[in-house]
Amino acid sequence: MKEFLMLIREESNYGELSAEEMQACIEKHYRWVETLKQKGQYKEAQPLDAGGAYIRGKQKIVSDGPFLEGKECVSGYYILLADSLEEAIEIAKGNPDLDWDRTVEIREIMTMEDA
Amino acid sequence: MDATGQLVAHFFRQHSGKMVASLARVFGMAQLDNILDAVQDTFETAMSHWRYNGMPADPPAWLSRVARNKLINIINRAARQTTIEAMEASIVAAQGETPPVVEDEEAADSQVQLLVACCHPALGERDRILTTLHVLCGFGVPELANALRLNREVVKKALQRSKSTLRRVNIQLDPRAAKHAAENSATVCTILYLMFNEGYKATRDAKGINMDLCYEAMRLAKLLRPIAPPAAEVDALLALMFFHSARFPARIMAYGEWVPLAEQDRRLWDRRLIAEGFHYLECAKRSGCAGKYYLESLIASLHCAARHFAETDWKAILGLYRLLEGLEPSSVLIRLNRLVAESYAAGPLAVITELEAIPYDADSGTVFLLQAVKAHVYQRAGSTAQAHIAYRAALSLAQNPLDAQYIQKQLNTLYT
Repeated sequence: MKEFLMLIREESNYGELSAEEMQACIEKHYRWVETLKQKGQYKEAQPLDAGGAYIRGKQKIVSDGPFLEGKECVSGYYILLADSLEEAIEIAKGNPDLDWDRTVEIREIMTMEDA
Repeated sequence: MDATGQLVAHFFRQHSGKMVASLARVFGMAQLDNILDAVQDTFETAMSHWRYNGMPADPPAWLSRVARNKLINIINRAARQTTIEAMEASIVAAQGETPPVVEDEEAADSQVQLLVACCHPALGERDRILTTLHVLCGFGVPELANALRLNREVVKKALQRSKSTLRRVNIQLDPRAAKHAAENSATVCTILYLMFNEGYKATRDAKGINMDLCYEAMRLAKLLRPIAPPAAEVDALLALMFFHSARFPARIMAYGEWVPLAEQDRRLWDRRLIAEGFHYLECAKRSGCAGKYYLESLIASLHCAARHFAETDWKAILGLYRLLEGLEPSSVLIRLNRLVAESYAAGPLAVITELEAIPYDADSGTVFLLQAVKAHVYQRAGSTAQAHIAYRAALSLAQNPLDAQYIQKQLNTLYT
């Protein structure tokens, strides 16, 4: 079993979603995460705050990064369990975030055993 | 949450109103803007967290706690910048005067008072509908614009105006205000009636019925029920809303065509909603107030009780419309409805003279209906030529595609 990092990218403000839309979004995710858990494909997941900073190079220059309102940023991550990238991609396709036109990035987490 | 871990329908929307109401009670209506921001922000936070980690054990308690903390933060931030008023509010907050979760009864009570505040007579009718939906039902600007077919900027400005008016009139939301709330329940009923009609009217848009507006109007009417005096006719209003919503599934076809009462498939009427309508009608009967809503709900009940269109008790309906006309003699709409009932009770020929005598009034909002009724009556009387003229007139007055489509269809049937 391998671990995969799934990053969710979306616009940093959800202000335009109505109460009903937010509820629908939560419910779809909730159901999806429950299925993942049942199938043993879910390890963990956390949201990320829209605020943050970039620290760049030797000079250690700190900037706000692309976290301005309305810009796309990473809003959260999942760690999924799958046997192959192909399988992980199939799992990721079920992410309801895609229904809201968000982008999902899936990457295998490399471990010492893979070296 | 129900047994399967799902949130109940409209959970966010209903909690939005509850949270705004209980926060407004503690922190005052002066903080309304901040409260609405805090509640909106709370839902966004919930969306982030619940999406990834699943729902907390007690979602309502979680929401209340987070909203309260967010509001205190907002107020403290503002207090650092100035105003004694805000400082005082934050002191109240810091003392932790309320527990984070309010009891249901108190929450309902705060909501009713907030509802009365949103229906304040200082606001125009449309603004009252907008404000109520925004503050108590969690409707955002885009949703409001969509529901009431208004421009987003118009909605935004109306809300700003209403909120500043509400701040100015400085409404208190506490038990002392309960009497005030009771006294104003009749105007609240008017707003809920209009809100329901807005949702119902949407049938005539291509999109179908806006059940959300109807549902919210019914929910708020139920909230108002315990405090309203019999004269406000809340029970009758609820009965009317239930009877109407029971017929929604049959009113519009899957492909978006308006189905007249005579042709509706009555098996599609929702028996459960009809039963609930009769329950409220019974309550209304016991209250002994035979006002506008009572008469209207009786009419709706007679339609719901008829298994086929042919079984409709038109004589009784006609009598009820006559009583309604007595209450509102200047309403062309009621008069037209009465004439339709009369055309079924006494035959189409009996009403033609009176129909023709109704003056054309472009501002009445009933010119389309007048022509459509005339056409319908002439058609049934076998006067094809007159029916044709009236249908053509109605077609030119139709305000939306569904009405136009319906009239065109009737025109086509004239010569078959």
